[in-house]
Amino acid sequence: MFEDATKILFVAILLTAAIVLTKRDILGIISAYSLQSFLISAVAAVMYAADGTGTLLFVSALTLCIKALLVPAIMKGIQKQIKIKRDVEFAYLSPVSALGASMILLLAGYGLLSGLIGNDRALAFGTVAGISLMFMGMLVVFTRKQAITGIVGYLTMENGVVLMSLFLTELPLLIEVLILVDLIGIMLLAAILSFGINSSIEEFHQKLVRPFGGKTVAPEEGSA
Amino acid sequence: MTGDFMIYAALNVAFVLLASPLFMTIIKKVKAWAQGRKGPPLLQGYYNLAKLVKKETVYSPNSSWIMRTAPYVNISVMLVAALLVPIVMIPEPAYGMGSVILFLYLLALGRFFMALAGLDAGSAFGGMGSSREMTISAIIEPITIVVFAAMSFALGTANIYEMFAAAPAMPSLLPIAGALFIILIVETSRVPVDNPETHLELTMVHEAMMLEQSGRNLALMEASHAVKQTLLMAFLINLFLPWGMAGPAGIIFGALAFLAKGVLLCVVIGAFESSVAKLRLFRLPSLFMAAFFLSALTVVMEIFA
Repeated sequence: MFEDATKILFVAILLTAAIVLTKRDILGIISAYSLQSFLISAVAAVMYAADGTGTLLFVSALTLCIKALLVPAIMKGIQKQIKIKRDVEFAYLSPVSALGASMILLLAGYGLLSGLIGNDRALAFGTVAGISLMFMGMLVVFTRKQAITGIVGYLTMENGVVLMSLFLTELPLLIEVLILVDLIGIMLLAAILSFGINSSIEEFHQKLVRPFGGKTVAPEEGSA
Repeated sequence: MTGDFMIYAALNVAFVLLASPLFMTIIKKVKAWAQGRKGPPLLQGYYNLAKLVKKETVYSPNSSWIMRTAPYVNISVMLVAALLVPIVMIPEPAYGMGSVILFLYLLALGRFFMALAGLDAGSAFGGMGSSREMTISAIIEPITIVVFAAMSFALGTANIYEMFAAAPAMPSLLPIAGALFIILIVETSRVPVDNPETHLELTMVHEAMMLEQSGRNLALMEASHAVKQTLLMAFLINLFLPWGMAGPAGIIFGALAFLAKGVLLCVVIGAFESSVAKLRLFRLPSLFMAAFFLSALTVVMEIFA
């Protein structure tokens, strides 16, 4: 029963990632991220119910409070401030191609990991789902132009790391990656709040160089 | 043929024919409620068909035998398909019946003749509708095949009778429910892919192909469309709400249970249609890709099952 519930949750988590990848409405994207975090919290709760490890309950509660409630609330506040409702521009890949690419990554992840992980299917599926979520978050970062959607992409990647770490515990590298992704997200959020980026990073860069006649200021000769 | 199978065949086809107009009307009623209107009476679908059967059939002078035979081919194809999809009871698989591949080919055959009939009269709208229908089908048919292949893979059989008999609430089948719902919407030409209520040249797909049909032929086309919808609904209902499927002893209970579940699904379809806007033609691949994604998820889940 626990295994079935976990599988349903994995599928729902990947579906929320697909929504983040393809949806144009920013509030909808943030809500999908919130739901994704709630589902990851539910995975941890189900795992706690199955084996009774207290840490899992702590992870579940923390994920629910911070990622499912607090972070989306802050992001919705930012979205209200920057007054952008939709992210309709895509770079490199259209939503359809991005969804196709994420499917290929899902199958590739399975192909790569099925040999490495033994016969524990729940462990394998959890790991594959986590890695797929990371890749899908990465695709969001690559394909979306608005800075706020990019942050949701980073947060999705981070959710992927959390999901994977729930199954592959005691891996310091995962924690390193988790902190790194967090740092990038925090830096971008801080940039949005302090510099008022209400567009894509490229447009913001153009705004910065506009006072210098639209050209990047080159360092003077011999100054280096 | 055995007696049991004959009973099944007669009951299944009769039930599908009788229930299909009701399901169509319920969807219209739900959409009307969502728009603040009263909507048609529940038996309006039957009245419409009865009225059309009595009316004279008018043919364009440019039309050929295709226009005359297409409605009969369509209804025949759908009734044969109705033999493959158990509705009120599940018989023992016999005589090679129940193949999911045959079912898909029958749907494609019906679509092909409908598109031909749209082209046959030589009108601009018919040709435009057929062209759009074939464009959409060129994209959705591979997806439909993948969805049914994933379903066969998950259930371990390509026989529809065996699929329905072996359909417990499997978690790996859940993504397929979403994919089947998308296929149901696309195949029955509903919002956001097409709008069955409209006759605007910019949005028509299915209705454009039917514009030249009249009288009894139009009634047959409408009936075959309704039957197709019921058959596709049966996949969703019998795979995901399998309770009430009867053996030969409980046919009436099985029929009533299917009717109740069908009404529920119609309410969902009506609510879904009312809550989304029609998609531009070039945005449709996103919807189809979602069905493809869900099928791939099913296959991956089943590998881990």
